[in-house]
Amino acid sequence: MSPIQELKGIITPNGLVFERYHAGSPTVNPQEHRLMIHGLVDNPLILTMDDLMRFPSESVINFLECPANGGMEWRGPQMEALQFTHGMISCCEWTGVKLSTLLAEVGVQTKGKWILAEGADGAGMSRSIPMDKALDDALIVYAQNGEKLRPEQGYPVRLFNPGWEGNTSVKWLRRLEIGDKPWHHREETSKYTDLMPDGRSRRFSYEQEANSVITSPCPENPWGQKGSYEIEGLAWSGRGKIKQVDVSIDGGVTWRPARLKGLVLPKALTRFSLPFKWDGAPGLLQSRAIDETGYVQPTISQLRDARGTNSIYHKNSIHTWKLQSNGKIKNVQLK
Amino acid sequence: MFSLNKVIIVLSIILATFLSGNAVAVETGHFGLGTKATKAEIAGWNIDVRPDGQGLPKGQGSVSQGEGMYEAKCASCHGLFGEGEGRWPPLAGGEDSLTEDRPHKTIGSYWPYASTLWDYINRAMPFTAPQTLSVEEVYAISAYVLYLNDLVEDDFVLTQDNLASIKMPNEANFYMDDRPDTNNTRCMKNCKDPTKIIVVESLRGITPEQEAVDSSSANTKPKLSAAAIEGKATYTSSCVVCHGSGVAGAPKLDDKESWSTRLEHGMDTVVKHAIDGYMGENGMMPPKGGNLTLTDEQVKNAVQYMVEAE
Repeated sequence: MSPIQELKGIITPNGLVFERYHAGSPTVNPQEHRLMIHGLVDNPLILTMDDLMRFPSESVINFLECPANGGMEWRGPQMEALQFTHGMISCCEWTGVKLSTLLAEVGVQTKGKWILAEGADGAGMSRSIPMDKALDDALIVYAQNGEKLRPEQGYPVRLFNPGWEGNTSVKWLRRLEIGDKPWHHREETSKYTDLMPDGRSRRFSYEQEANSVITSPCPENPWGQKGSYEIEGLAWSGRGKIKQVDVSIDGGVTWRPARLKGLVLPKALTRFSLPFKWDGAPGLLQSRAIDETGYVQPTISQLRDARGTNSIYHKNSIHTWKLQSNGKIKNVQLK
Repeated sequence: MFSLNKVIIVLSIILATFLSGNAVAVETGHFGLGTKATKAEIAGWNIDVRPDGQGLPKGQGSVSQGEGMYEAKCASCHGLFGEGEGRWPPLAGGEDSLTEDRPHKTIGSYWPYASTLWDYINRAMPFTAPQTLSVEEVYAISAYVLYLNDLVEDDFVLTQDNLASIKMPNEANFYMDDRPDTNNTRCMKNCKDPTKIIVVESLRGITPEQEAVDSSSANTKPKLSAAAIEGKATYTSSCVVCHGSGVAGAPKLDDKESWSTRLEHGMDTVVKHAIDGYMGENGMMPPKGGNLTLTDEQVKNAVQYMVEAE
């Protein structure tokens, strides 16, 4: 879990990036590691790390988020800390080769519509990625915030799909197979599918929809004396830039626009700010993100009406902190 | 000097032309990096299986063959009947539970394709020793797990030819992502009736304790021996499944009492049992925890770690 209650700006330092695995973090020797690209291609290749680093590189700043971030709270608030309600998100500068560059190098055949990405971990972590994403902005990443990937982040090389659920950014990447259909592997059927109240399940729900949370104050950062404070927080959207964040202190009756500060980048953490003079009155603090597609972050009731309480993933509802007259913050939900 | 400038200009033009080539469609093999993957190399790495059966190796396995293999290699975590030990995933049951308040998602009740079962067992199971099962074992264990879910009869033989034809009950209930499925609007004033707001407080306190970093306590923590430090990686990769949670009677990492009882027989005996396997009154230790690729030294160090760790 990233300690987002402690972080400033939008970049998560490498040692503080959240970690999730499907069978632990393997030790991979970069000298021995190979990336194979094969399937419906004209020129199947095996690439060493040295080979990969000779291709033209790109750097992007994007968030990485586990789709289960917030997933403990579909039925109600449970966690009394921002780190545990929202800590499975980080934002880094990622450096690597565009996947489209490698796909051009192997020559994808016209029937090739899907790519299986497979890791070298104990789970042989595998996900099916549509060709459109691969040709759009997917990266084969070997560096993070200026240094080589940390072992737990997929050293020496990982896939990175900007704006998509974190598990699709397969770590310790060893193989890309191009095919004409998806593979429906375990981590895209049994897991990472969203069960609805009617018993049906949404699959390949890759995008992380717009989300936001107030990071100060929060349970770990209470207020003390009355007076001036900055209500501050993070917003992000897997569909592009954050256009606007609004803040409410009365549980969503009235909203006022917050200022976006610093870099406002697509599919990246974005800081918002609202200076506030606190008179010691209790309140219900909320933030509401709107992204460049016009999508407005939903309330928890709207999300439950659409999906029930058993879909586990992609809970991006407006979050409520209860501000008490002593300045302490409690995690609550509003009906 | 004049001619040198000319050379530089010409070189710049050539370089610019070459670099701008990236912006337009590049030809296959444009960069000429990497080595061609041969058919044999691809066959060695290509393990994935699809719902239509593409990728399945030739082979077969029966429910009855799978029963013993399942009990030896899978039941300690997944339970004798696929009910799941501790917090390890249940594999069977849960029919018609997906619309209930607490749905029970298993292979039989939830998974859309039988191929996923074969693929996952082959690539990732057993958790402590993935990709060590033979093709026949994967077929037989898959057959047995299908049998545990009442999807095949007890005389069933699973083969590369019939796997794709097995219909899973929940296949038709999956659909492609159709979000956005909510339609909030950007209201700014009088967005709701403030008297009708109901505040729901925390359901129960399950937030992990956050310990303040105390530099004075860091010094009092006992240091691990070199062997134990070495053994920690093996523990994490191969032992934690049972020794982390205590399944199959395994002494848990921090259970000092269980470990000291065993250490009464001497460290050498404990290490020997860990390497060769042991059937005791309280539980069973498979040889090297089921991961026979470990060296004796690695097992010894892992035991050392478990004995020292708190």
